[in-house]
Amino acid sequence: MILEEGRVVANTAIGELGALLQVHAPGVAGRAAAGQFVHVRPGRGWDPLLRRPYSFNRIDRRAGDIEVIVKPLGTGGEWIAERGPGDALDLLGPLGSAFVVRRDTRNLLLVAGGTGIAPMRVLAEREAARRNVTLVMGGRSVAHLWPSERLPASVEYVTTTEDGSFGVRGRVTDVLPRLLVWADQLMACGPWPMLAALGRMRDDAARGPTVPGRAPLLEAQVAVEQHMGCAMGVCRACVIVTAQGNARVCREGPVFALADVRFEAGEPATVGLP
Amino acid sequence: MPWRRPRRREERAYESRESPEERLERASEAEEERDTVELAALDGASIVEAATGEPEADGSAPSLVIDASRIDEARAARDAARPEEGVDLSVEVARGLRLRNPVLAASGTFGQGTEYAELIDVSRLGAVVNKGTTRNPRPGNPQYRIAETPAGILNSIGLENPGAEEVARTYGPRWAKLGVPVVVNVAGYSVDDYVFVVETMLGTPAVVAFELNVSCPNVKGGMLFGCDPLLAAEVTRAVKQVTDLPVIVKLTPNAPDVVAVARAVEEAGADGLTAINTVLGMRIDVARRRPILGTGSGGLSGPAIRPIALHLTYQVAQAVSIPVIGAGGVTSARDALEFLMAGASAVQVGTATFADPEAPLRVVEGLAAYVRAQGLASIRELIGAALPARGAPLAE
Repeated sequence: MILEEGRVVANTAIGELGALLQVHAPGVAGRAAAGQFVHVRPGRGWDPLLRRPYSFNRIDRRAGDIEVIVKPLGTGGEWIAERGPGDALDLLGPLGSAFVVRRDTRNLLLVAGGTGIAPMRVLAEREAARRNVTLVMGGRSVAHLWPSERLPASVEYVTTTEDGSFGVRGRVTDVLPRLLVWADQLMACGPWPMLAALGRMRDDAARGPTVPGRAPLLEAQVAVEQHMGCAMGVCRACVIVTAQGNARVCREGPVFALADVRFEAGEPATVGLP
Repeated sequence: MPWRRPRRREERAYESRESPEERLERASEAEEERDTVELAALDGASIVEAATGEPEADGSAPSLVIDASRIDEARAARDAARPEEGVDLSVEVARGLRLRNPVLAASGTFGQGTEYAELIDVSRLGAVVNKGTTRNPRPGNPQYRIAETPAGILNSIGLENPGAEEVARTYGPRWAKLGVPVVVNVAGYSVDDYVFVVETMLGTPAVVAFELNVSCPNVKGGMLFGCDPLLAAEVTRAVKQVTDLPVIVKLTPNAPDVVAVARAVEEAGADGLTAINTVLGMRIDVARRRPILGTGSGGLSGPAIRPIALHLTYQVAQAVSIPVIGAGGVTSARDALEFLMAGASAVQVGTATFADPEAPLRVVEGLAAYVRAQGLASIRELIGAALPARGAPLAE
């Protein structure tokens, strides 16, 4: 991980998902991997104070560029989302753990919810040339979906919307059963309720008999979100409960084995309880 | 042989005319090529290059002959990277504890010192204060544990730590190699807890002092000791009996009478004071109609509390004769100078590190630049410069 002053190349609005920021940062781009994130300082002053973590949405080593999706949340998020071409951006990264694709995986199933599309797009771009990739994305409406023209053409793109404005009406979990039968590996990133639903599917699979579609659930990898402070592993603000005890989303995560993450009523399990 | 760039993973542009099989084949061919390149790249590399994967600075042929001029060059390069070299920044931050400079990393914002060592040269700091350490492991508080406030943050971590024995076992060997003195921050619920942690940590490499956290706002009973002069004195006395290392007491601004606590712990044998710990605060999530922090309230830190910290440093420094370490919202050398002039012998940099991991080093550099520019013999000349007894009398 390094500190690097990046330069904004482009800022494009992606529907309701947020601002897609393309940043020239060859140092960070050269080290980054899918699932990792960059911690962005909102300005040079001390108000707002905290950096914001953004998962890589694209890693272009050749051009030395990265892309991130910035939701204008809070004054810091708004400031970052408003950066335009030529603006400098103070970056700390890449940070955290990355998704690991097995060499023998032929069929890769990616599942994204909301800005959770970020690492899934990196995986889709990298893996499309190596194996069969299906990406499932869910959102509230068509405006919350990732535009298909920004994905490799060979990636099968399945979409669901809660209001039925595009693709299958419903949620990503509604279309997963038939795809899980096909998949060798499953990777997901999205809001906690979506990951918790995957966790329940995994628990059912773990209890059930050996049937097709069970293996990818048991070995699924997920990237999670949590309110973050330092992102260096020191402040312990971003911990979640895992099978191994407390884990820092910024260090041990953000990519975890789905089997290890502890959920509670669709949210991360409460920290601090025995 | 000229150094070849370390391997880069190729991002191949997608071409839709190829079949998936053709693409896979091409990908595997490229992979083989890259492997060959990777091995070949090590041919002719010096030991340093092979170990670090980075080309050596001057690019000349590697040599095992020690060249005196190159050592001088290296020394010059180091001094250029350390503008504080040659400036007397050393201070006594507690009775019997002299540090090379007056900048410490504050407890809870620097982990065990090893984490930020991946990013900055921590050996340039005066000392590192580790994460609050308790007798037993603690899982910490429920989420959320952090919330942003104007020019500051609220936290409610709840002293999550692996317990004194594990800290000593795991981090002692790492501290030995860190190149910076370590102050162990000790927290507890009873006098016995504090004594246990101190006894457990005794003899751990690099540990030069203990900072008693009698003021954690985020654990039940954590602030009890820091709010009552008698209890604060009792825990100080008990710890002093089991260690010869300097004992620093971290004061809480939430005490009804901070100066009374400061006087009481000095009387009980404290060798230094840290002023201040976080200030109690709260934020409400309007959409959910409840506090953002899992514990409701938490500790406020950052530039928002600097004037409070400065005021208390100024008060405490006049009331005691042991050194005071100023803490609260220090982001720059200018901030540090304010604390030094208010009577602090050193400062701790905490929350600022989250925004700018280089902030503590910038404070060191800035202080050195100030001492140089002002033509001072030592930074010590500035300590207490703004106190009424030493400076110009204040207007009535």
